[in-house]
Amino acid sequence: MVTTKQQSGDRLFPNLTVDLAPNNPRELVLRNPVIPASGCFGYGLEYSGIVDVQRLGAFVSKGVTPEPRSGNPMPRIAETPSGMLNAIGLQNPGIRGFIRKYPPIWESWEVPAIVNISAEAVEDYAMMARLLDDVAGVAAMEVNISCPNVSAGGYCFGWDPVMSSEVTRAVRQATTLPIIVKLSPGAVDVIEIAQAVEEAGADAVSLINTLVGMSIDTRARKPVLANNTGGLSGPAVKPVAVRMVYQVAQAVRIPVVGMGGISGLDDALEFFMAGASAVQVGTAIFSEPGMLFRLIDDLTEWLRVNRIARLSDIVGAANSRFHSSTVPHSEIVAEMVGQ
Amino acid sequence: MTALSATTEPRNTGWSREFVGEITATAPVMGDSVLISFTSPAQFAASCRAGQFVELLCRSPQSSDPLLRRPFSVYAVNPARHELTILVRPFGRGSAWLVDQPVGASLDVLGPLGNTFTIAPKSKNLLMVAGGVGAAPLLLLANEAVANGKNVTYLLGAMHADALLSPQHLPGEVEYQVATIDGSAGRQGFVTDLVPEYVTWADQIFACGPEPMFRSLRREVLANRFASKPTVQVSVERTMACGIGACLGCMVETRRGMRTSCVEGPVFDMDELAW
Repeated sequence: MVTTKQQSGDRLFPNLTVDLAPNNPRELVLRNPVIPASGCFGYGLEYSGIVDVQRLGAFVSKGVTPEPRSGNPMPRIAETPSGMLNAIGLQNPGIRGFIRKYPPIWESWEVPAIVNISAEAVEDYAMMARLLDDVAGVAAMEVNISCPNVSAGGYCFGWDPVMSSEVTRAVRQATTLPIIVKLSPGAVDVIEIAQAVEEAGADAVSLINTLVGMSIDTRARKPVLANNTGGLSGPAVKPVAVRMVYQVAQAVRIPVVGMGGISGLDDALEFFMAGASAVQVGTAIFSEPGMLFRLIDDLTEWLRVNRIARLSDIVGAANSRFHSSTVPHSEIVAEMVGQ
Repeated sequence: MTALSATTEPRNTGWSREFVGEITATAPVMGDSVLISFTSPAQFAASCRAGQFVELLCRSPQSSDPLLRRPFSVYAVNPARHELTILVRPFGRGSAWLVDQPVGASLDVLGPLGNTFTIAPKSKNLLMVAGGVGAAPLLLLANEAVANGKNVTYLLGAMHADALLSPQHLPGEVEYQVATIDGSAGRQGFVTDLVPEYVTWADQIFACGPEPMFRSLRREVLANRFASKPTVQVSVERTMACGIGACLGCMVETRRGMRTSCVEGPVFDMDELAW
């Protein structure tokens, strides 16, 4: 267990703040590292009258695209062992309708709103980034590169380091807002992709997006989802996600946001110790919306009980560099996350 | 996850409609199904209306499987005892777990959720058309309607006599007619075969059951040549995840576009549905 000697009498008030864009003057400082993931928290409004959204570190809005999309036909979701498949199909009002409708509401919120953007052409990513650049109420962008690149025959942007880099560079040139690039677990070499987007100007990376999967209705002899395939999420994907975060966190110097099957404190700790500076919670919100806040409380309490002054002191604790070095932990962490 | 405690006060999760209820009674009904009553915060038992549903976590707190909550229409409310009752048919992994829970067990509940059936003030005669466990929300509606002095005819269809709701579950004022596929009780055939006899009598029709039943019902209503056709409200069933309109997994195609069945439904005007 990693501990620090920093204590303030009997009570220790752990510092949970994290800056996900330490190299960006517009920064992205979160009061805590718990973030609802894109697609699992709507636009924040769905839960806002009922839960205290302002307590979250940040939230990521449902993915927005250049034009309005009505999404896929039903069924769009299928439960799988300890997980679920979804093929919602990016139902959303399009970037222009989105900007009119949601950021004006978020402007008065304390919690930073991160806008998830998706497109099928590099120019469209750039166009959306330009439109969002100076919109009040928007704190950062998360760039979803798990989309088919139409000009590359539908090959997923996020599976190719060159295309991932092109999207990131185009977005970087279009905005000074912090940008988090959300990596696809379908890439052959996720490290290569992470390094490519870091090089192209990403302020942070988030991973993992869902894994492509399928369920078949054996009575009907056809896939359960109308879209045939869907994205697998939930506890079933957690070990894959932890492994990828562990690999990526040691290969890049920008902050890593970890996600994939987090449904409680211990899951989140795995991600922090694998090298994530913050975590996103997705599928678990559907089953236990209150878990988001329990996680913040449990994490605070865990740090306090373990006498760890800063969350950043455990980031990467499970990484090999941590164990093989005599350098103080916080310095390694600082080096690893570029702080 | 935190351990469940047997309190009926809203748990301090930051989510005012997530609570832990305790099972107070279970009773077999309709053959293989079970009526499960559980405690609820007083304000929910008092405010819950016909058509609304609850989403239950159908697993122990230590387990992650089955992952998603299961939606169940509310079958009965008991404001005096702070109880809600649902009708569960052991159909899949979640409902099979649920019917095995003993009296005294804790349930993690989200709800009540969704919209409600709407009885128009000027309506006198209400026809309810239920298929299988679709009986549940209409049972609550029948009770509400009788309490409001409405005339209610309740039609229920099932595969065979054993799978029907016994009449004692319905208020005495309700006219109860049944249809069975094998003819072991009531009319042989589908429940919608009973509809023509009542379609001119009814001011409003309320339905819950499988989608083919809705299609037959619509045909029967449209076949009615009288000038004033009754309006029809149906409660649809969709695979559901969040239950609060965030995931967009449970959409229903309507004439005005895609609608969430969890927040904008589960009750829709039949004319609104795009079939």
